[in-house]
Amino acid sequence: MTAIRDFFRSIGDAWDGLHPNVRRAIGVAVLVFFIVLPFFFTAGGTFIDNATRALAYAVMALGLNVVVGFAGLLDLGYVAFYALGAFTIGWFGSSFYAQVNHGKGLHIGVTGVTGQLPGIHFNFLLVLVAAVIVCAIFGVLIGLPTLRLRGDYIAIVTLAFGEIIGRVAINGDSLKPFGYAVTAGRQGITPIDSPDLPGLASFGPLDLRPWYWTALGMALLSLFVSFRLRDSRLGRAWIAVREDEVAAASMGVPLVRTKLLAYATGAGLGGMAGAFFAAYFNTVNADQFEFSFSIFILAMIILGGLGSIWGVVAGAIVLSYINTYFIPNTFKSLPHHIGLNFDLTDLSFGIFGFLLVIMMVLRPQGLIPERRRKLELTEGVGAGDSEMPIEVSV
Amino acid sequence: MLVAGLAVFVAACGGGSSGSSTGSTASGKTLTVYSSLPLQGASRTNSEALVNGIKLALNQAGGKAGQFTINYKSLDDSTAQTGKWDPGQTSSDARQAAQDKSTILYIGEFNSGASAISIPILNRAGIGQISPANTAVGLTSNAAGASPGEPEKYYPTGKRNYVRVVPKDTIQGAAVATVMKSDGCKKPYILNDKEVYGQGLATNTSDSLKTAGIPPLGNDGWDSKAANYRSVASKLAGKGVDCVFLSGIVDNNGVQLTKDIAAGIPNAKIYAPDGFCESGWVSPKEGGVPTSLDSRLQCTVATLDPGSYPPAGKKFFQQYEAKYGKGNLNPYAIYGYAAMSLALDAIKRAGSNGNNRQDVINALFSTKNLPSVLGTFSIDKNGDTSITDYGLYSVKNGQIVFSRVVKPSAG
Amino acid sequence: MPAPPDFDLHSDSERGLEAASIPVRATRAAPFEAIQRFLSRYGLIIVLLALPLAFMASDLAHGHGFAHILENLKDGVSNGAIWALVAIGYTLVYGIIELINFAHGDVFMIGSFVSFGMWGTLGVTLGTGTLGRVGGLIVAGAIAMIACGSLNVMIERVAYRPLRHAPKLAPLITAVGFSFILQNVGLEWLGGSQHGVDDLVDAQHILVNIGGVHIINADVLAIGITIPLVLLLVAFVQNSRLGKAMRATAQDPEAARLMGINVDHTISLTFLLGGLMAGAAGLIYALYNTTIRFDQGFEAGLIAFTAAVMGGIGNLQGAVLGGLIIGCIQQISDDRINSTWTPAIVFAYLILIMVFKPQGLLGEETREAG
Repeated sequence: MTAIRDFFRSIGDAWDGLHPNVRRAIGVAVLVFFIVLPFFFTAGGTFIDNATRALAYAVMALGLNVVVGFAGLLDLGYVAFYALGAFTIGWFGSSFYAQVNHGKGLHIGVTGVTGQLPGIHFNFLLVLVAAVIVCAIFGVLIGLPTLRLRGDYIAIVTLAFGEIIGRVAINGDSLKPFGYAVTAGRQGITPIDSPDLPGLASFGPLDLRPWYWTALGMALLSLFVSFRLRDSRLGRAWIAVREDEVAAASMGVPLVRTKLLAYATGAGLGGMAGAFFAAYFNTVNADQFEFSFSIFILAMIILGGLGSIWGVVAGAIVLSYINTYFIPNTFKSLPHHIGLNFDLTDLSFGIFGFLLVIMMVLRPQGLIPERRRKLELTEGVGAGDSEMPIEVSV
Repeated sequence: MLVAGLAVFVAACGGGSSGSSTGSTASGKTLTVYSSLPLQGASRTNSEALVNGIKLALNQAGGKAGQFTINYKSLDDSTAQTGKWDPGQTSSDARQAAQDKSTILYIGEFNSGASAISIPILNRAGIGQISPANTAVGLTSNAAGASPGEPEKYYPTGKRNYVRVVPKDTIQGAAVATVMKSDGCKKPYILNDKEVYGQGLATNTSDSLKTAGIPPLGNDGWDSKAANYRSVASKLAGKGVDCVFLSGIVDNNGVQLTKDIAAGIPNAKIYAPDGFCESGWVSPKEGGVPTSLDSRLQCTVATLDPGSYPPAGKKFFQQYEAKYGKGNLNPYAIYGYAAMSLALDAIKRAGSNGNNRQDVINALFSTKNLPSVLGTFSIDKNGDTSITDYGLYSVKNGQIVFSRVVKPSAG
Repeated sequence: MPAPPDFDLHSDSERGLEAASIPVRATRAAPFEAIQRFLSRYGLIIVLLALPLAFMASDLAHGHGFAHILENLKDGVSNGAIWALVAIGYTLVYGIIELINFAHGDVFMIGSFVSFGMWGTLGVTLGTGTLGRVGGLIVAGAIAMIACGSLNVMIERVAYRPLRHAPKLAPLITAVGFSFILQNVGLEWLGGSQHGVDDLVDAQHILVNIGGVHIINADVLAIGITIPLVLLLVAFVQNSRLGKAMRATAQDPEAARLMGINVDHTISLTFLLGGLMAGAAGLIYALYNTTIRFDQGFEAGLIAFTAAVMGGIGNLQGAVLGGLIIGCIQQISDDRINSTWTPAIVFAYLILIMVFKPQGLLGEETREAG
């Protein structure tokens, strides 16, 4: 364990020692690598599918990381923004409201067959923006009642909101405020418009490359936002609030605005990923919006390293692969490979739990801990802090 | 700026990446039939029964259909993280089948919401799909109960590729209403499990009851995760309800619901659809309701009196009972068996073109008077089965017993 | 309790555990202050009464009398008794190590399964005589309690203790991991669907009818087991030496250690107590509902955790009160509104309470929840 840690540390040190131009060159090379990666795999194959989902989960995780990792507000109801983002595209990017405009539909920026369909059809980019706005507003609304609360009381209020939104998703087919149902319940809103993006042709179910590039673009955008915010005045305010709210307030950090901006940013990224997931899965189904999803995303950021941007991305990719690839493929065929014939599907639940426990016990501070915390560790700054990881040898 | 650069790059290579065409003729003499069902979590019991039925049908046929050897691959449309069907996994399964050159047919999904996702993918790939469990009206037709745009929105190529062996909700709803009327129900009430199947069936049953002149006093959802339904029962008792129809599947806490309704409304008769009609509902040994309630329970299944099964069906029952225990009538095992039997029959009827996907789809849609465990049926142009007769089953000593055939009067 | 000399807790971290302490008994105060405190403490309870009162008024307006709403409340209290026992486990654990123990609901599920398995092993069936049934159930219940208690201690040892010095949220994920593992155990044990069990106490038999309110056997069972257990537990935590050690650790683990309390043992004891209550709740649940299933603990855990927070987390009496209130809200909603909306209504209530009284109904004003 120590050896692995030292290895990562030496990589980090080596990276810091490089010339900025060399670092930039490496960055561009990595980016180009990820862009051309899909050409080495089947267009509709498992690899691109899993990679796309992992990237979209990374966007979700980066969003939650702003709330939990940067600002220290434990949010257990993140599924609410997945749901809201997904419903935004369900409302504005499908034939769900077929009665609109006497069945002729409402079209903005869509071409081809979609342009003829009844219902409201906005261009995918517009829908993404709408999803970000809707979720940011709801993020603030959900954040408001938690402003007076601290610690895990915030967790329970956000959890409650998540559960309520899940219930509305299930029962919303009987809620008709203006004669239009809010959701389609468990029947689901299907199909969702395929994105119609300039330069990207054929978003089909059998050619996943455009989906992959879209997800990659969203992930890069989220990374960019995360890095810029972390190093901004606002980011420092978040970290101040996380470390000591009273001290931050007395130093002039506006608590209400700082916290609400964290909720709004996190919700916005979650909503963007939610809308993408809905389009990619081709459905908005109330079955998806359960508490376990919030926990899944939370596990990604804690496993990756709370507050650490690269850690969160790593955590998202690892857990997403375990869930979509390792357990259904590798693990299931394990007995087959060693010549046995039994089915491990019914143990997958427990294996998932077991992996969570093992990974957390072996690396409690996360895969790639936040640099600030690491500094605190090695240099003994702020040793009195309660949330600070103290290295334990395992 | 990164994103902008990305968009330009992607634009440059967009042309090269388009369209992976899938050959319509499966290669070789060995063909694969896929199934995609939720094998994890609460639906596992029913999915296992389906898989058992599918395997039995293939075994009986000696693993062959006509001149072709048939492989069977069971896929899972659920994930460990959710413990239930997952849209991502569903599309992933459909894609896997679409990209396997030996794929000839696809059996699935269990949930109508999931089929709504896999049908369009398989439709583009030109692969036939047989559902052993979907009853939602809108998947095949625009009859009452379908949403606007259904069913065309599921078939992007404009050609049909989806058939099902279970009758759509309207048929069973009419059958249940017929039974309730003949039993003298005056104040019926419908409870549904809020799933696509339960809710759709509840709506159709409600319509049929209205037509029959005994409109239901209400049609409510029940929360499948509740600990008990004492207060739901006392609500119904307060309204003087005399018959209750439980529209859903027994796995959604149906045993608890049945017990609480029976205790809360002491004289009410309880009716249930095929989703309940299994030993897990009524056999105390398998965790069903106590036998003291037996005389008050009835359920409908689209299966015949086991005495009038065709030879293959009788053999199926003998084998199934030998393997999984007597009286263990899980309707999903029967539906799984029927689905695989139909698949094999279609491949066989396509003759030497049995490896041509479109020919097999055509064979599916031209199914006429096929004898099966579900009775003799044909497939219409929408992909629906022609079966309208329902078997009414009662419960004796913790076992489900055939009582009579119901011919639904007006839907 | 003497501390082992080699015991070493992380020396320089202040953990802020006083946040959710188990409060000491209220000291005597002037009558005027008592009234003020009563209002600040119970004002929200009066708000909570709005829902039953509204439906009671509507009943009366329709000439139905009080029986209907009283029946709802009776059902609510007896259902809530089970939630209360589970909630105690959350509140104890949170009080002492500030961890939302997500695996606790599943420990409760294992309690139901063990009870069912044990009375099967003991041969208690519907044919057994009354005495045999009572004896068998007591034994089964005791074994379920011990099993859940030790399971909980084991989980703490394996999944939480190694992470005591880790970032605060890390044990949350191991808790979730164990929740998955236990659910898988339940899934393998009795399968993916619900499992009806023998109705050994004739749960729905109407024992007595008081003015239209039907008291059934299950009600008597739930209340009859819960009250003595809660009283015993409260007495233990408040009066015994070990209980005092628990409260001291909850207040300030560092100071507790310096006073010679073995913090590790005390934490184990807390998990043991929580597990015992969950085991008892599991037995009651199995007998009360006569159906058990592998995922019953997930939903129950969510409800019980909500109850613990509603009552003021870290507060035993608060957890019980929260459980009973949630039970009543659920039953009223099941009956008057619709059971599919019930969870949403429970959580809406929770948010209201958090907005108006952030520290929960009986919670103390603390730094954490101020």
